Amino acid sequence: MNDRRTFLKIAIAGIVAFFVFVWNKLTLNHIEATQQNTSVVPLNKNKEVTFADRFIIVNQNNSTTVFSAHCTHLGCKIDKYEGDRLVCPCHGSEYNLQGEVMKGPAYKNLNVIPSQISDDGKNIIIGA
Amino acid sequence: MGQKKNKTTFGTLALAMFWLVVFSGVALAIPFDVKDPYLSISNIMVVNPWASLTRNYHYWSSQFFLIFSLIHFYEHYHYKEKIGLKKGISFRLSLAVLIIFLAMITGFLLKGDADSQQARQILQTLSERLPLIGKSLAFSLLGDPESYQLIYVHHIATFTVFIAIAMVEHGRKFWPPALDFVASAAGLFILSYLLSAPLHDNLNPAVKGPWYFVGFQEILHWLRHPEWSLLIFLAVLVLVYLANSAKDKTMFLSKRSLLIFVGLYSVLTIIGLFFRGQNWKWTTPWSQEYKFEVLHNFRTPSVNFSPDFELNEAIASPAIQGRKESCLACHTGTHGFTDSHRPEAIGCISCHAGNPFATGKEQSHRNMILIPGNLSTAKQSCGTTQCHPQITERVPTGLMATLSGMISVNRFVFNEQDNPDEPAHVSQLGNSAADEHLRNLCVRCHLGNPKTEPGPVNEFSRGGGCLACHLNYSPQAEKELAENNGEMMQAHPEVSLKITNNHCFGCHSRSGRIATNYEGWHETTLTKEEMPDSANYRLIEGERVFVKKQEDVHHKLGLECIDCHHSYELMGDGNHYAHQENQQDVQCSDCHIDDEPRTIAAENLDNESAIIAALRFGNIAGKKLLLTEKHKRALINTYVENDSVYFITKNSGVKMTMRAPAAVCSRNEAHSSLTCSSCHTSWAPTCIGCHNAYDVNERGYNMIENHEQKGTWVEYIGQYEAKLPTLGVRKSKDKTEVVPVIPGMIMTIDLKSYTGNENDPEIFHRLYAPASPHTTSAKGRSCVSCHNDPVALGYGEGDLNYIITNGKGKWEFNSKYAADPHDGLPADAWIDFMKTRTEKVATRSDLFPFDEQQQQRILTVGACLTCHDENSAVMQKSLNHFDELLKNRSSKCIVPEWK
Repeated sequence: MNDRRTFLKIAIAGIVAFFVFVWNKLTLNHIEATQQNTSVVPLNKNKEVTFADRFIIVNQNNSTTVFSAHCTHLGCKIDKYEGDRLVCPCHGSEYNLQGEVMKGPAYKNLNVIPSQISDDGKNIIIGA
Repeated sequence: MGQKKNKTTFGTLALAMFWLVVFSGVALAIPFDVKDPYLSISNIMVVNPWASLTRNYHYWSSQFFLIFSLIHFYEHYHYKEKIGLKKGISFRLSLAVLIIFLAMITGFLLKGDADSQQARQILQTLSERLPLIGKSLAFSLLGDPESYQLIYVHHIATFTVFIAIAMVEHGRKFWPPALDFVASAAGLFILSYLLSAPLHDNLNPAVKGPWYFVGFQEILHWLRHPEWSLLIFLAVLVLVYLANSAKDKTMFLSKRSLLIFVGLYSVLTIIGLFFRGQNWKWTTPWSQEYKFEVLHNFRTPSVNFSPDFELNEAIASPAIQGRKESCLACHTGTHGFTDSHRPEAIGCISCHAGNPFATGKEQSHRNMILIPGNLSTAKQSCGTTQCHPQITERVPTGLMATLSGMISVNRFVFNEQDNPDEPAHVSQLGNSAADEHLRNLCVRCHLGNPKTEPGPVNEFSRGGGCLACHLNYSPQAEKELAENNGEMMQAHPEVSLKITNNHCFGCHSRSGRIATNYEGWHETTLTKEEMPDSANYRLIEGERVFVKKQEDVHHKLGLECIDCHHSYELMGDGNHYAHQENQQDVQCSDCHIDDEPRTIAAENLDNESAIIAALRFGNIAGKKLLLTEKHKRALINTYVENDSVYFITKNSGVKMTMRAPAAVCSRNEAHSSLTCSSCHTSWAPTCIGCHNAYDVNERGYNMIENHEQKGTWVEYIGQYEAKLPTLGVRKSKDKTEVVPVIPGMIMTIDLKSYTGNENDPEIFHRLYAPASPHTTSAKGRSCVSCHNDPVALGYGEGDLNYIITNGKGKWEFNSKYAADPHDGLPADAWIDFMKTRTEKVATRSDLFPFDEQQQQRILTVGACLTCHDENSAVMQKSLNHFDELLKNRSSKCIVPEWK
């Protein structure tokens, strides 16, 4: 009786593990298949800070840098530029225009996303 | 058994709520659009009161389902010594607690508003940070970031089914007792009618999670590694499991731990809900922004089955920034806006606040800002995140908002501080004699003084924040306002860049009076009744009489104030300046250039200048614009092309070619330290002999609180004159300049009249102030108007004569005015003849009158000018070789002796 119960327990655990494996695989494959690698966003070089949904485009000293708009603390989208700081609305983390943390709770700097300005200078290709 | 079955517990109530959640959810699925949740919910609230009621019902039933379920746990734990569930059931029950929260949070996410979007980001990040399966779990829970489909599926199916199974397994029944069901259903109807489910207006910068997670949000705020917070969830679930299935001490400790956790979490929830505002900063109920930052979360209109508008109008009104606003269902056909401020683009609430999702006038207009733009509410109107947040942050730091110089100088004059250059702010006035003096007589003119009545800007206008400069009424808007016949007004005043001299006039026609000076009007001491009937006289504010004088040459050419002054001067640049001349940026030499111009390419403009330039002049790509020397700001209405500098008037678009300064101005020998205005000021208003006393019986006014009061400082004015300004010396670290000055404060103050202390002395001051009179003339003043003029030198009016006796020259001065008993100097003088004056001499610590040596040098040239015409060859030569000429002068030339 005990053997049968043990067998069934192991079998069920195996089936659950198999389902988890399949689920994990199918999800990761789906993410990879549908992931958008690059985004093209209009570039305004006059604007020091542009919030473009998932990205923050910063023009400073004749160079353009693209940061992920997601706060490194919990991923909230940063959408405010107050004083000279980028401010997260959720918990008030602050970053300077180099993406460096100036005030917590975040402790990691904003992620820099590779980008390239289009030949005509009107767009920026993000994630290139 | 039968008795137990029908007994009302929080468990049976939770079961009743569960079915009500399900029923209302199914009904809500009809109007809800998962492709655009935020728009569909705002649409429900605005155009479909029955759907709105259903949504409220779904919301409230789910909240009570959660609350009753949790209380039901307590019920078990409190009344039963031991629960003793089987491990399997206990495990599923713990899991159900997690799933209930997931069902709740997915419902919260399905609003699609600003709160939901950020909550979704947090949930995604936390899930992704789980080891091994984090990424898959996050995606499986939330799906594609652009879509709500998977969240919707989980909300209506996955989680709901699981909860149903767990509940039935736990309670062993499908249906609640009929009475519980009926009572719950009826109670919820009342609640759902009275209080709507929340929806963020996506303008308010404060974002918060649902009430049951704000405590968690507070915890997350403390953690540098927030993923560790998930262990709290795990711990709670384990405690629930142990409380349900364990025995003895373990069970007891689990229950106690849960109780302590609930107590602590409740405190955190209260903190998160009521003491955290924008950017999760601490706030208190008595703070000015509390209502805006915190209480907006509780702004819930009741369902209105007979909206104050035609449904067709509501359906036809446009979606604005992804939401429906009820405002436009009533306020149809409103016109008069600039393109950027059209309601189709930004709606009404962006400026006027109120409740965009309420459908009755009263509820919609609650907390409305009737006159937006006042600095006290600018952050909630003009300064919301999508609009002009940087500007509304800057403006309060600028001098037109702080009045720093005015306050600081006034305190200095009242001997309350030793330095006239200390930064100050009008919002921080105290109760001293100086500050009361300001409150009674001076501080009406600051941008923070609110505009309280609709209407166009005129010469009586003071303050009004953004509107002080940007408000314009069309004739129709003005007519509709004047008629005020109770009908809804359709002609809306314009908020635009059309800033005219009239906008500046109200405030700047006072004190230094640059607005009136510029147009060529000088204030007299005549009364209205005494005013001659002549075009040479003008009545301002119904009682002040002005007489015609020479207008500024730029005014003659059609230039307005904003043609010279740019946005960073007028709206501040974020720095706190002590005096207006520190904030003021544009100098004559920025436009009237004699060498290589300083330029900036249009492509490199700052965003604000680029937008203003584009709005005013269209495409400016490829242009090179002038840059100011002092603060390196672009002058957007200038450009350099083919070695010529062009200037375009901002409002009228007239193009002009800039003239380079005359050769005499750009010579680097004599006069190189003179500012342009020291020569090119044609006249400046002066006032001497002012007396100030406090009259306890006089009706006065408190200009900060805007109300009348008994007792006020009273100013007894002396006499006004218009004449060529005196000259003084301004010394800074970098340079020493000769600047025009006027008798800013030759005055007495009866201090004891305010303090009541007989020992307080009468204060007397003889202070001159730097001036920028705005009376520029193309031709500079003559040589003798400085070198031979007692007013220019600071002696005041009188006879200044060069006397030669027995081959010896000597300057003599006889003043027009009698000596003042306070200091023995003539009433209008700055300095004593041929003396160096020190100590308190000016309203700036870096401004001085000519010292004895400087007077000698000026008057030496003056002596020459008594014989030689200023245009004579010898005087022209003296401009470059004065010392040499003096050395080789003829015996007829008698230079002054100074002893």
